[in-house]
Amino acid sequence: MALHPHLDHRLVVVTGKGGTGKSTLAAALALLAAAAGKRVLVAEVNAAERVAPLLGAPPAGPVIREARPGIFTVNVTPPAALREYGLQVVKLRAIYDAVFENRVVRHFLRVVPGLGELVMLGKILHEARAEERGRPRWDQVIIDAPATGHAVQLLRVPGAMLGMVPPGPLRADARWMQAWLVDPARTAAVLVTLPEEMPVTEAIELDAQLRERVGLAPAAVVVNAMPSPRFTPGQAVRLAPLSAAPSPVGPAATAARLHAVRSAAAERELRRLRAALPIPTALLPLLATAGWGLAEVERLAAALAATGEGSPWQA
Amino acid sequence: MAGLSAAISGRRVLVCVGAGGVGKTSVAAALGLARALEGGKVLVCTIDPARRLATALGLDALGNAETRVPDEAFAAAGLRPRGQLFAMMLDVKRTWDDLVTRHAPTPERRDRILRNRLYQQMSAALAGSQEYMATEKLYELATDRDYDLIVLDTPPTANALDFLDAPDRILDFLGDDQAPLLLSPARGARLGFRLAQLGGSLVVKTLARFTGGDMLHDLGDFLASFHGMYEGFKARAAAVHELLARPTTGFVLVSSASPRAVAEARSLHDRLVAEGMPIAGAVANRVTAPLWPTGRPRPGPGELAAALGADDAGLAPGLALALEEHERMAAADAGALAGLLALAPGAHAVVPRMEEDVHDLAGLAALAERLLHTGPPPAV
Repeated sequence: MALHPHLDHRLVVVTGKGGTGKSTLAAALALLAAAAGKRVLVAEVNAAERVAPLLGAPPAGPVIREARPGIFTVNVTPPAALREYGLQVVKLRAIYDAVFENRVVRHFLRVVPGLGELVMLGKILHEARAEERGRPRWDQVIIDAPATGHAVQLLRVPGAMLGMVPPGPLRADARWMQAWLVDPARTAAVLVTLPEEMPVTEAIELDAQLRERVGLAPAAVVVNAMPSPRFTPGQAVRLAPLSAAPSPVGPAATAARLHAVRSAAAERELRRLRAALPIPTALLPLLATAGWGLAEVERLAAALAATGEGSPWQA
Repeated sequence: MAGLSAAISGRRVLVCVGAGGVGKTSVAAALGLARALEGGKVLVCTIDPARRLATALGLDALGNAETRVPDEAFAAAGLRPRGQLFAMMLDVKRTWDDLVTRHAPTPERRDRILRNRLYQQMSAALAGSQEYMATEKLYELATDRDYDLIVLDTPPTANALDFLDAPDRILDFLGDDQAPLLLSPARGARLGFRLAQLGGSLVVKTLARFTGGDMLHDLGDFLASFHGMYEGFKARAAAVHELLARPTTGFVLVSSASPRAVAEARSLHDRLVAEGMPIAGAVANRVTAPLWPTGRPRPGPGELAAALGADDAGLAPGLALALEEHERMAAADAGALAGLLALAPGAHAVVPRMEEDVHDLAGLAALAERLLHTGPPPAV
C-alpha cells in the first residue's frame, strides 16, 4: 500500500462538510503513510477526539501520543497551544507565568478574535516544519480540520493577521504560516464529501472559499460512501414491479430498488461535482457496517491505495 | 396522533438542535410548515439553508427580513395552508448592530463601537457569536411579533454545546471590568493600585510584544466603549435564557444514525436537562428502515431465484446481496439510535432515509407527515 502522489505532501489538510467522514479519511491516510514507512502525526483541532479511537488507541489529549507504530495523534486545544506559543515568545517561564497565567490576561487572550485559531494552527504548522538533525521531525502531518465554515475560519487566520497586526513576532509567525499553507509543493488540501446534494454543494463552495479567502487550491476530492451499481439498466427497470411481489421477492427487490435509486442519485451528484471541480477525485465504497473501528479504516485505506483496475482515482 | 405531534402541539417556540449534517434545517422547516397548514402563523428562522430549500421558502438573501411564503408556491405544491408561513435567514452582523444600537447610551458611543475594527471582526470571528445572535434574535421575534410559533434552526457549530455556552462566554468578555483598565493605561491611571496588583506595565509590555500594540489599543477601546452597557446586555441575556426555559418552548433533538451525531445529541440532551431546558422530543432522521422481519433467516440467491421465476432469476444474487446489506445497515442504525430514542420516550419520530434530499414545499410536507402523523415508529 502506498500514498497516491496527490496526497504525498508534508502537510495534508482534510476538510469538508460535517458528517462526511473527515476523521475516518484522516485515519486511513495515516495508515497508508505508516505502511509506506513514514512517521506521521494526525492533529485534530479542538475536537471530540476520533482519530486515535478509530485506530484502536485511547484519545491522546493535548499532548502528542503514539497511537500505532509510526502514527502519532494529538488534539490541539487553544489553552495548551497558547501556553506553548507564549513560552516560545517570552522564553522565561517566570515572566510567562506572571503575564500569561494572570486571570485577566488569560481571559483576554481567550477572546481576542482569531488568536485561538492562530496558536492552534501555529502549533500544527510548527510540527510540520520542525527539523531534527537536518531531517523533518514528521514525514507527514495530517490536519483533521473542522467542518467547512470553521475550517475556512481556521485557515484564513494567518492571512487575516497579516493585514491586521503590526510588525512583531505574531506577524512574523503569521507570515511563514501563510507561506506554508499556500505552497502546493508542501501542502495538499483534500475535500471530503458524500455523493449527495448538500455535501456536494458544500464541497464546491468550500473549494471556492479556500481558493479565494485562503489562497489554498485543493489538491483532491474524496467521495465517501459511494454505492456501487449492482444491476444493469435493463435489470434495474424490473425492480419497481418486483417490489410489489410477495415475500421474499418484494422486500429484497425493495432493498435493491432503494439501492439503485441511491446509486443513480450518487452518480448524478458525482457528475455535478466533477463538472464543478476539475481536480483528481477518489471514490471510496459505501461500507455496510455496524460500527467504525480499525478494521473498517483498514478497508478504506486499502481501497484508497488500490491501483490498476481497482484504483479509486478518476483523473 | 403520534408522540412528537402531541409533544409540540402547544409550544410557541421550537429550537432544533443537533450535529451538523443531520437535516436540522429540513426538520425545522417541516415542523413550521405543519403548523402553518393547520392554521397557525409561523416563522422559521434559519441560519444557512441549502440553496434549493431557501428558494423553496422564498428566501433569496440574508438580512433578517421575514418573508412570507407566497400562496402560489403552496398551490404549486398542492398545499392549501389554513395559516401563514414566514421564513427568515439570520444576519449575524446586523443582529449585533441592532443589539449595540439598542443598548448604547448615546449615538456617539454607538458609532464608536460600530466603527471599531475589532467589533467589525467580532461578529464573524468570535467563536459563539452566531449562536448568541440566534437566541438574541429569537427573543426579539418572540416578544415583538405575533407569531403562534417560531421555529429556530441552530447554526452548524463545531460543537453543538457552543449554542448554550456562547452567550455567557461573550458576556463574560464584554463584562470584564478589569480588562479595559488593564489595556487602556490612561484610564487605568486613576486606579493605579489595581494595575500594580496585576503587575501592570510588565503585563501590557509583554502582551504588546505578543499581539502588537495596535491590537491592544483597539481592544482596550472596544471594551471601554462597552463599559456601562454590560448590565443591559446581561439583563437581556437573562430574559433570553428565561424564554428558552419556558414550558411553551421546546427543544427538538435531531440526529442521524451516525454514532458521532448520536453522541452529540445525547450530550446536548444531558446539558439541556442540567440547565432546566424543556425538551419536546427527538427526531431520528435519514434512518435505514428494516424490510425483513427480525430473527427470520434472510433468503439466499437459490430461494429468491425459485420465487422470481425463470425470466428474472438472473436478478437473484443481486437481490440477495441488496437485502443483506440493507438489513445490516438497518440493524446498525437501530443500534446507534436506541440510546437516543430512549431519552425522549413517546415523543420521538423516526424518519426513513428519503430517496432524494428535501428541496421543495411538497417534500417538506411529506417530511412533516413522517414526523408527526406516522403513528408509533417501528420498534428499534
